[in-house]
Amino acid sequence: MNENKFCFILCTNNEILLSESIHYISHLIIPDGYTTELLTVTDAKSMTLGYNEAMSASDAKYKIYMHQDVFILNRYFLSDVLSIFESDASIGLIGMTGYTSVSADGIMWHAEEKLGTPYRHKDVYPDLSEYRYSLSGDGYGPAAQVDGFMMVTSKDYPWDSQNLTGWDFYDACQSLTFLLNGHKIVVPFQRHPWCIHDDGGLLNLTDYNQYRQMFMHTYQKFLGKHYSEIGKRE
Amino acid sequence: MDTSSQLITSTNAFFTELEKNKDAVKASWSHITQTIDAALAAHDDRALLALIPYIEQGEGTLAYEYIAESRCILRILHIIRLELAYQKAPFFLHCTDKDSLTKKYTTSLFALRRLFFRLSPNSMEEAANRLLSSRLSVFAVYVMTQEDLITPDKVLYDKIAEICFSYWDDDDKKMFLLLTAKENRHE
Repeated sequence: MNENKFCFILCTNNEILLSESIHYISHLIIPDGYTTELLTVTDAKSMTLGYNEAMSASDAKYKIYMHQDVFILNRYFLSDVLSIFESDASIGLIGMTGYTSVSADGIMWHAEEKLGTPYRHKDVYPDLSEYRYSLSGDGYGPAAQVDGFMMVTSKDYPWDSQNLTGWDFYDACQSLTFLLNGHKIVVPFQRHPWCIHDDGGLLNLTDYNQYRQMFMHTYQKFLGKHYSEIGKRE
Repeated sequence: MDTSSQLITSTNAFFTELEKNKDAVKASWSHITQTIDAALAAHDDRALLALIPYIEQGEGTLAYEYIAESRCILRILHIIRLELAYQKAPFFLHCTDKDSLTKKYTTSLFALRRLFFRLSPNSMEEAANRLLSSRLSVFAVYVMTQEDLITPDKVLYDKIAEICFSYWDDDDKKMFLLLTAKENRHE
């Protein structure tokens, strides 16, 4: 395992989106002594299979699983996530948007308390060129689950490719995997959103309910639970 | 019934409704894409614009409700409607089908974002060149910056003016300054 390496992992089926996403990645400032790599999985059979393939192909300690329609705005993203991981060794997963509990109906965004700052049209943010995240000044909040458009990990756990054969609920399940293995999940408080998730404002729900039922069945005892009630941590 | 039970009941009802509408959603999206492809091939502006009421009030509302791309399509159609009304070169010029239409929209939006976020001189230069080659109208620029995922400010509008004033006529320039005056006053 290379402790000083970041790996960006994207499943892709759209060259225009991928190219734009890479454009933003290419503008990130790489912390001294660290290297980066980019792994793209084209036309994966499922998100979990794509992510597992890339995960096993990279020796990077820090893996950034992200959607092809995510554009990272915070040029100090890498040093900022590093500062969060280094602040507490039990943090295993960082998201950009998260929820402090698991919703009773399994739908992440139905949970009561939301964390993070999604980029929204018409919202007012500080000038990006002047924005700097401060671990001590801004901090982060603990979450039960984070949205899969961006998941940054410092530990490798296989994605559940047996049950998750599509494009939904891989984030909810993987979040619980981290909690159940004793890791914290956190979301940084962002005065300026660290990225744009350009998904058109609408999730494709065609197969969503099938995986929601699976999630509710598998993780029944965690439905409605606060992050502090899930998993064992020091 | 407690809050959790209510939530589960309403979510189940939502998915039951979605399942019930599945074929109708598919049919309405199929109608939208096929109409665009046929209208662009036949240069039939009326057929293209007839999709606006279809999406806003007709069976296309189903596609609008569930399919993200239909929202982008509706924005494009409104741009085209304005361009045709003002006898400007329409957004669909050189677009041969739905995919090329949305590709033009997406790459233009990306260029506007690059200008806004100012990642590097190279990034901005590429964006400026892209805008120049796509020759967006005032309406296209305004609808994209006002309705899509971007937070326009005076600096962005000044930069757009610097680029697009090279091919816009005097009426376009006046219209742009008028439309963006509100943002400029906020600075």
